[in-house]
Amino acid sequence: MLYIKCPFCGMRSQNEFAYGGDASVKRPELNKEISNNEWDDFVYNRKSLRGKHIELWHHVSGCRQWFKVQRDTATHEIFKTAKMDEQI
Amino acid sequence: MSSISSLNKVHKLGLFGDFQDKNETNLIKIKEIKNINLFQIVKHKKSKQDISNLKIDGVSLPKNLHSSSSSSTRIIWMGPENWFVFSTKNLIPELENFDDQDFAITNLSHSRCIIEIEGDMIYEVLKKGSPLDINKLNEGDCANTVYNGITITIDFVSNNPKIIRILGLRSFGESLYHSITDACLEFGFKSI
Ligand SMILES: [Zn+2]
Repeated sequence: MLYIKCPFCGMRSQNEFAYGGDASVKRPELNKEISNNEWDDFVYNRKSLRGKHIELWHHVSGCRQWFKVQRDTATHEIFKTAKMDEQI
Repeated sequence: MSSISSLNKVHKLGLFGDFQDKNETNLIKIKEIKNINLFQIVKHKKSKQDISNLKIDGVSLPKNLHSSSSSSTRIIWMGPENWFVFSTKNLIPELENFDDQDFAITNLSHSRCIIEIEGDMIYEVLKKGSPLDINKLNEGDCANTVYNGITITIDFVSNNPKIIRILGLRSFGESLYHSITDACLEFGFKSI
């Protein structure tokens, strides 16, 4: 069980949250020619790394906001959380 | 406003659980709050409107994790720029003054079930199903959380006597009611 600090509600139990994937993935620019490989990278390919990772989480049973979490995927330690428009 | 409550079939009045040989005033009291107007107010992201002086039925919009109230109206924080307004008054004429460039207002009067529980042991009842750190919370606080997997909003109405309101989606009402009353059985409760 993790405790996650929502930037709006404070420290809450993982039960209230939903995991939303890698937060470092960027959508290819609009109106630009995109190769199949670039689409693959955006839609499917993930690093799935062991160590510090920036993730999206949704406080789905709380304030219903998305935010960023920096977490170690091996130890589950959470270093930082930030609002979507903040740098982590 | 819906005249048929979502707890119509399950909320039976009387004494239940371990109530024998106990003083009735010490039992948990369970009550349904119904026939109340409920509006959601959401301020648009791009709106520059200053909400600090804004009032609805004389009640201002509360800050994060808080509520504000008068005798007829109660406003709770639901998320950033997002509030629930409960009232026994018809607020529609007042809410019509809100600019739709700044706010989205939705009538949700049909959509929630509200269970009010009162008594010294109600925090224990909450702890059985919810991961929220309840002991830190006080009168005037509110929080969204889960109870046995059901998303709920808890409104801390009063410290003395201890009263809280638990809001759930209407369609989860019966299930939530059973969860809460099951948790109350060991203390004994009175449905009013
Ligand atoms: Zn939150």
